[in-house]
Amino acid sequence: MIAESSIQQRGSAKLGCLIAAGAVVLLGLILAVTFAGRYNSLVSLQESTEAAWSEIDNQYKRRYDLIPQLVSTVKGAADFEKSTLESVTEARASVGRAQLPAGLPNDPAQLQSYIQAQQGLGAALGRMFAVVERYPELKANQNFLSLQDQLEGTENRIAVARRDYIEAVRRFNTARRSFPTNFVAGIFGFESVPQMQFDEAERETPQVEFDFGRR
Amino acid sequence: MQLRLFRRVLLFCGLLFATASVAQQAIPRNDGWVTDGAAFLTPQQEQALEALMESYKVGSGHEIALLTVADLDGRSLERYALEVSREWGLGEEGRNNGALLFVAKAERKIRIEVGRGLEGNLTDSISGRIIRDVIGPEFKRGRMYEGLRGGIEAMHAAAGGEYGQITRRSGRRRSGGGIGALPMIFFVWFMFSLLRRGGRGGRGGAFFGGMLLGSAMSGGSRAGGFGGGGGGGFGGFGGGGGFSGGGSSGGW
Repeated sequence: MIAESSIQQRGSAKLGCLIAAGAVVLLGLILAVTFAGRYNSLVSLQESTEAAWSEIDNQYKRRYDLIPQLVSTVKGAADFEKSTLESVTEARASVGRAQLPAGLPNDPAQLQSYIQAQQGLGAALGRMFAVVERYPELKANQNFLSLQDQLEGTENRIAVARRDYIEAVRRFNTARRSFPTNFVAGIFGFESVPQMQFDEAERETPQVEFDFGRR
Repeated sequence: MQLRLFRRVLLFCGLLFATASVAQQAIPRNDGWVTDGAAFLTPQQEQALEALMESYKVGSGHEIALLTVADLDGRSLERYALEVSREWGLGEEGRNNGALLFVAKAERKIRIEVGRGLEGNLTDSISGRIIRDVIGPEFKRGRMYEGLRGGIEAMHAAAGGEYGQITRRSGRRRSGGGIGALPMIFFVWFMFSLLRRGGRGGRGGAFFGGMLLGSAMSGGSRAGGFGGGGGGGFGGFGGGGGFSGGGSSGGW
């Protein structure tokens, strides 16, 4: 009698162990699947953020490269204000100094000085185009008009890229902070990406840099 | 007066929404290649432009669409054009070879929005020249159709596309009877086969006949749509929507 019940007890204990082990395995499996999904979505969000950032960087570089040609074309106009051109050249030089390391910006201060330099250049260009309004010979110059079109296109692309980047960063950071993705982000070391700050006025009218009321 | 009040309420609601979300304002629904919200075109002109754009699509895959609006509703021209282009999914998926010619009547503004896949050919400066030298001068003289058509032709020429043969499609639109005959033939054939089978007409035959009849009827109604004209046969855009703000803006 005693032996039988102990066998029974041992059997039920064994069964309990099996169930417990199964539950643990199942739980682990569910966790693994969930974590893998979260991990993958974080990776894809991070990649789209990186892509959005490189788009901004490319467009800024494009603008940077267009300026020497523009300056030399404008210089050709009789007695064009020297100070205006100089401020554009200076702003371009300060952009050249404020380059960021490759990859996503992870230092907010560095990013801020980069953005400030770029915005300074945008403002200088805006002033230059405003002055151009007083030079009809430039406004009839096909070469100048073509450069102006390209710069305007670039400014618009920058505005679009910035909006897209801000959206991408917002989505990534939101996912990174939300439960249970935040565990995955913590385990695999997904750092949050600093959001881009720019002037309130600029956010209201992103075209302000290039809409000079021409035409 | 009432209209003004209504507009104000609308504006207020718009502002409310704009502050609540990231300004996702209404996007006009497209009704084919040409969506003429500003009513620049007669139905015939619209059809002619639609046929032209359809031929571009068939020939080169490039999707060049036209949208005119009565006014910008307080939005920026560039942002409006971009949101529409993305929302409509202009261009083939993966190729992003779409472009939008966008005209705002009240503000007298024109924008050419170029998809990523066409940016290399339909560059910003070419877009600017098309607006300045092709569309603008015609618009200034009040020749809206000529300006729009010239602009679309120039955009297509710059994009380096081919013209496709679309004799079947344009034929459909013009006559409407051409395609309508096909279901009729099916229908007559189906009736004849029913009569011939007579008594021995099994279930299978009836089922087959029913299917035929169904397809003939649906074909017939579709043909009627073509006969009505305007937007029929437009299969929607390719779903690309890859736009990054390329193109040019101008006015007249």
